[in-house]
Amino acid sequence: MNIASVAARRSVVIGGLNHRGVAVLLLLGPCLLYLAAFAIYPLIYSLKLSLTDLQAAEAHGRWIGLRNYGDLLRDPFFWNATRNSAIMVTASVTIQVVLGVAMALFFNLHLRGSALVRGILVLPMLISPTIVGVMWRSLLNPDWGLVTWVIQQLGFDQPAWLTSVSTTMFILVLIDSWQWTPFVFIIVYARIQALPHEVVEAAQIDGASRYDVFRHVTLPLLMPAIAFAAVFRAVDAFRSFDLIFGLTYGSPGRGTVTLAFFAFQNGFHFQNYGYAAAVSYMMLIILMIGMTVLLRYFGLRARHAQ
Amino acid sequence: MKDKDKDARPLEGERSEGNRKGVSRRRVMQTATAVGLSGTALGGLMKAVPQAKAAGFDPMKYKGTELNMLLVPEGEDKVMVDLMPQFEAETGMKLNITAPAVGPLIEKTLQNLKADKSGFEIINYLGFLTTQQVGGGYFTQLNDLISNADETPPDWDFDDFIPGAVKNVGYFDLKNKGRGQGKDLYGIPGMHSGSVIYFYRKDLFDAAGLKPAKTWDEFRETAKKLHSDKVAGCSFIGKNDFSLAFVEWYTRFITNGGVLMSGDPNGTNFKPNVNSPEGILALQLMIDCLPYAPKNVTQYAYTENVDGFSTGKIAQMIFWSTIAGPVFDKSKSLVADKTGTAAVPAAAGQKPSAIQGGWGLGIPKNVDPAKKMAAWRALTWLTSKKVNKYEVEKYQIDASRQSTFKDPDLLKQFPYLTDSAAAIANASTLPTSNIPETFPLNDIMNVEFSNALLGQQDAKTACANVQTQWEAVLRKGGHLI
Repeated sequence: MNIASVAARRSVVIGGLNHRGVAVLLLLGPCLLYLAAFAIYPLIYSLKLSLTDLQAAEAHGRWIGLRNYGDLLRDPFFWNATRNSAIMVTASVTIQVVLGVAMALFFNLHLRGSALVRGILVLPMLISPTIVGVMWRSLLNPDWGLVTWVIQQLGFDQPAWLTSVSTTMFILVLIDSWQWTPFVFIIVYARIQALPHEVVEAAQIDGASRYDVFRHVTLPLLMPAIAFAAVFRAVDAFRSFDLIFGLTYGSPGRGTVTLAFFAFQNGFHFQNYGYAAAVSYMMLIILMIGMTVLLRYFGLRARHAQ
Repeated sequence: MKDKDKDARPLEGERSEGNRKGVSRRRVMQTATAVGLSGTALGGLMKAVPQAKAAGFDPMKYKGTELNMLLVPEGEDKVMVDLMPQFEAETGMKLNITAPAVGPLIEKTLQNLKADKSGFEIINYLGFLTTQQVGGGYFTQLNDLISNADETPPDWDFDDFIPGAVKNVGYFDLKNKGRGQGKDLYGIPGMHSGSVIYFYRKDLFDAAGLKPAKTWDEFRETAKKLHSDKVAGCSFIGKNDFSLAFVEWYTRFITNGGVLMSGDPNGTNFKPNVNSPEGILALQLMIDCLPYAPKNVTQYAYTENVDGFSTGKIAQMIFWSTIAGPVFDKSKSLVADKTGTAAVPAAAGQKPSAIQGGWGLGIPKNVDPAKKMAAWRALTWLTSKKVNKYEVEKYQIDASRQSTFKDPDLLKQFPYLTDSAAAIANASTLPTSNIPETFPLNDIMNVEFSNALLGQQDAKTACANVQTQWEAVLRKGGHLI
C-alpha cells in the first residue's frame, strides 16, 4: 500500500473539502465571521460613509468623493483637535512612562508594606474614565470642590482650574496620568521580576556602578516592556474621549477638543455623519503613521541595546 | 360609561376641590391674558385641526397592547414612574419607557426614524430639531386622528395647547420646509414646553430697597449693589454650553432689538446679524456683569447656576423657567421662600422675550401599523390636562397647556407660573432652528463667546468671528451664497 493510496483513503471529501478543510473551516469560521461582521464591515461601511454628505435628516447621503477629507484639511477646528491630541499623547505618555518605570524600580526594593501600597496604586485603573472625569470635575468644583477647599484652607487663592486652556490641558494630562501610570508600572514591574539576576550580578562583579547597571543593563532589558506600555498608552491617549466628556466637554473654548471628541461632536452632536466618519479615518491614518514611527524607534532602541 | 368615569378621575397627588378656594381672580386673569394673547395670533392656524366630537371613544379599545416610548429625562421620567399604574388601569396598555440623556436620545431617535421599523411607537423630540426630524418627513400626520371621535378622548381639547408651542413642534409644511406653517400637524407639545424668566432674591432686593430690573442697565446696577463676598450680584451661563449662546446672549440680543437672521432659511440669502450693534451690545452686557458674577462663572453651566441660586449664593439671574422645580422645592432649596420671578429685562421700547424651548411628542411613520392607533391613545393620555397638571404640581415641569397655567390651585401654590406663562406666550422661536445646522452654529457661538468672557477677545472681535464662521457654515449648507 503506497502513501498516495493511504492519503486517498483517509481523505473523505465533503463538498470539495477534505477532513482537514472542514476542520479548518469549523475552527476558523466563527472567528472569521466575527471579524467580518464586527471589524471589516464597519470599517468598509464607515469608509463609504466618509465619502458621502450624510446628515441627520437624510436616510442616505449623496456621494461626494473626497470632499469631506478636503474640507477637513482646511478646517481649523480639525487642526486644533489634532494639536490637542498630540499634546495629550506626548505629555501623558512621557509622564506615565517616566513615573511608571520609577515606581517599578522603587517597588522592586521590596520595602515593608509595598504590597499594600501597590494594590492601592492600581485602583484608579479600575474606574471608568467617564466617572474619573465627573469625579475630578466635582473635586475641582470652584464652589464646593474638595481640592479647591483644601487649597483655600492653605491660604491660596481659589484656583481657576478649568478656565484657561493651558491649565485645563495640564489638569487633563495630570488626571490621565493619575489613572494610567499604574498600568505602565504593572507592565514594567512584571518585567523587572523576570529579569535574569546573573546579568546584573556579572555587571556588578565587573565593577559597574548602580547607575551603570541601570543605564546599560536594566533599562535595555526593560525596553520591550516599556515599548509595549508606551505604544499601548499612546494609542489609548490618542483616542481620549471619555475623560474629556466627563471633565471638560472640550472647554474652555475648544481648548481640550481632541480628535476623538471632535469626531463625536460632528457625529453625535451635529449629526454630520459623513464628516465624522472622515475624521475617524484621518485618526486611523495618523495612528498608523504614529505607531509605525514609534515601533520603529523602540525597535531600533532595543536592537541598539542588544 | 364606566371607563369614561375612570378617565376623569383625579391623579394621585392632586389637590381636592376644597383647597381651590381663596384664589386671586386677578392672578387668574393675568395668566389668562398672557397666554390668551398668543392664542389670538395663532387662532387661525389652530382652526385647521377640527376637534373630536361624537362619543364613540373607548379608552380600553387597545387593551393588552404593549408600546415603547422614547422620553426626555427632564422630570418626565419621574412623572411616568408615578403615573404608570394609572396609565395601565385607564388604558389597559403597557408602556415601556426609555429615557436616556438628551444626546443619546437624539441619536436613538434618528436611528429609529431612519430604520425600516421604529422600535418606539412614541418619540419625544427636541423643539430645536423639529425641522430636522419632523421636516425629514418621519412622523405620522395627526390631523385625522385628532378629528376622529372614536380615537381621541372628548375632553382632550387640542385648542388648549399653548399656541407658540404648537407652532414650535407641531405644524410643518413639508413641501415648503416651513416650520410652524401650513395645516399639517405632526407633533403635540409635551411633555414640557418653556422659556426663560428672571429669578431674583426677594429678601435681598427688599432689604436694599430694590425692585426687579426692567432693563439691562438696571440689571447690572442691581448686581453691583447686591454683590458681596457671600452673594454674587448676578450670574449667567458663562461656560461653553448650549445656553450661553441661546439663553444668555440671545435674550439680551432680542430684547435690545436684535434680529438674528435675515432672509429665507430655505433660500440662499439666510444671513446672520451676529456682528450687528445689538449683537455686540448683548455680549458686552454679559462681560460688564463679570465683576458681579461668581468668580468662576466661566465654568458655570446649568447645574452650577441652579445649585448656586438654590444655595443662596446668587442674587439674580435669567434662566429657563423649568428650574422653578429645584428652586421652589423646600427640600432642595435654601431660598424657596425668598425667590421671586419676573419677566426678563428689556431695553426701553422692547418687549421682554426669550427663546422658545420645549419638546414635541410624535408617532413615527414607520411604526407597526397595528400599533399606530394604540400609540395615539397613549399619546393623548400623556398629553391630557390631568397629566399636565400633575407634572407641574409635583415636579414644576413647564406646562404645555394653557389650562394648566390658569389652574387656580396651581397658581396659588406656584406664583411663578404667571411669569412663566407670559414668557412662553412672548417667546421667540430660534431662527437658526429652521435649518439643520442649529447645533454647529450654536457651538461656534459658545466657543467664541466663552473666549470673550475669559478675556481672550473683546465683544466686537468675538461677534465678528462668529459672523464669519456662521457665514461659512451657511454657505456650505447652501443657505447663503
